[in-house]
Amino acid sequence: MWMAQIVGILAVLFVWWLVTDVLKVWPAYILPPPEAVLEEFSYGLFGEAPGGRLTQSILNSLRRVAIGYVVALALGVLIGTLLASSRALRETVGGWLTAIQSIPSIAFVPLAILWFGLNERAVLFVVILEGLIPVALAVSAALQNVPPAWITAGRTLGARGLRLYTKVLLPASVPHLATGARLAWSFAWRALIGAELLTSNPGLGQALETGRNTANMALVLATLVVVGALGGLFDLALRRVETRVRRDYGLETAL
Amino acid sequence: MKRSFAYALSLTLSLTAAALAQGATTVRLGYFPNLTHAAALVGLERGTFQKELGAGVKLDAKSFVAGTALNEAFAAGQIDIGYIGPGPAINGAARGLPLQIVAGASNAGAVLVARKDAPIRSVKDLAGKRVAVPTLGNTQDISLRHLLAENGLKAQSDGGNVTIQPVAPADVAAAFATKQIDAALVPEPWGALLEARGGRLVGDQKTVWRGGDYPTTLVIVNTTFAAKNPELVRAFLRAHAASVKFVNTNRPAAQAAISRQLEKLTGEKIDARVLQRALARTEITTNFNLDALKEYGDLNKEAGYARTLPDFTKLVNLDYLKSATQGQGR
Repeated sequence: MWMAQIVGILAVLFVWWLVTDVLKVWPAYILPPPEAVLEEFSYGLFGEAPGGRLTQSILNSLRRVAIGYVVALALGVLIGTLLASSRALRETVGGWLTAIQSIPSIAFVPLAILWFGLNERAVLFVVILEGLIPVALAVSAALQNVPPAWITAGRTLGARGLRLYTKVLLPASVPHLATGARLAWSFAWRALIGAELLTSNPGLGQALETGRNTANMALVLATLVVVGALGGLFDLALRRVETRVRRDYGLETAL
Repeated sequence: MKRSFAYALSLTLSLTAAALAQGATTVRLGYFPNLTHAAALVGLERGTFQKELGAGVKLDAKSFVAGTALNEAFAAGQIDIGYIGPGPAINGAARGLPLQIVAGASNAGAVLVARKDAPIRSVKDLAGKRVAVPTLGNTQDISLRHLLAENGLKAQSDGGNVTIQPVAPADVAAAFATKQIDAALVPEPWGALLEARGGRLVGDQKTVWRGGDYPTTLVIVNTTFAAKNPELVRAFLRAHAASVKFVNTNRPAAQAAISRQLEKLTGEKIDARVLQRALARTEITTNFNLDALKEYGDLNKEAGYARTLPDFTKLVNLDYLKSATQGQGR
């Protein structure tokens, strides 16, 4: 697998180098050559100030998405639990959440700016909103799908009220929660970059905007690679966790 | 139906053929609704550009919020001639955009204004505050970063504690009112306007940089366009020089023209006294200090926006302007 991955990347780099440096199909300000992007990487990641901005951007974005993600998970579990407890809530609020999920996160940014100002809170609002919905829906669905026999067994063994939730229902919904948490990550990450782009808080979104403003396509490409790589790596890690959880619950056979 | 379509098609074809035969019949001009672009505003309002270009040439003028957006349009081949700040011009050239600086348009005219209820009396007080510039990487942003460095401060993006926030100059007043922004480095007339609304002038056009001897707006051309249409470039620059002269010799009429254009573009009716004050802090001229321009290039690097500098001997080409103004006596 790793070999195929490396060959694939080398092939892309080769074609890129061919059309930019050798054939010069487009001018460098439209499509910069690989070495220009490499220069942006070394300058942005390891350069002395004012270099090293890409590192700062990565750290800022990760910090922001971490805060947003944790809050989204907590709120998502809470809302999901509430939804599962009442059919009326599911049919109203649950439906609204599904509708809200279909709105692109970037559409909430203008509202967030008006409510919170051009600051980090506006970004966090959008990230949390996007992150909590998949979690809430997953938890709500999971709680409803807990086999009735487990609930009866739990009751028989003396679990009632809150204890029924913490000891039986929530543990039973962990596999669904893992799927929701992975979805929430990709929603949150996309929302973050979009919100940073529009509110211009120091971060990867702002790095994109700076690249655009200074006609620096190499910086734009370097930032896109970082956004894609980080998003992909976290998704991969969460997918591993999800597979492990599902396997432990006997929902998936070992690969 | 069919016949009219065929007619339209043949008309289009013949027009295209005519256009190809005579070079460009449209000049696409980019500029901003700022006082530092007074020559563009006056030239458009008084029809000077159209007059010099001739009746057969269509003038297609577009306004932009800041040079960075104009640069983007330039890169996409949407603009032939533009009024732009030195920051984006140098940056664009360094990236290989086909542009050349053919004249100056204004010097100085950028001021630092603080919100009246923010405790900012000097540049040093900007520590921990939010400062607006028109866009990231534009001329005022580069000036601000230099000003901060001179005062031992750093932008948040460089690990410091001053947040630099891009806000369109016309929107700064609203951002002040909602306390989203504490100060702004803006081109005129927005500085004077903020002052008139209670903002405090922290640094005037001279304290911002080099005692006021720095270019704020330049005229650039797309080199491909200029090579094909040197006469149009000269005609445009004749109109540009005439507009500059008009601003300096006929202040009241020029001010009225600027005011009308600004109102059209931004919906903001600017008080005559405010405009007068703004104009006093801006030098409208076709000249610019080449050393200051080169220093801007260095500041661009200092701000981290450029790794390389363009070849200034190629970037600046004043031949068009010289031949255009010599031809004045025809």
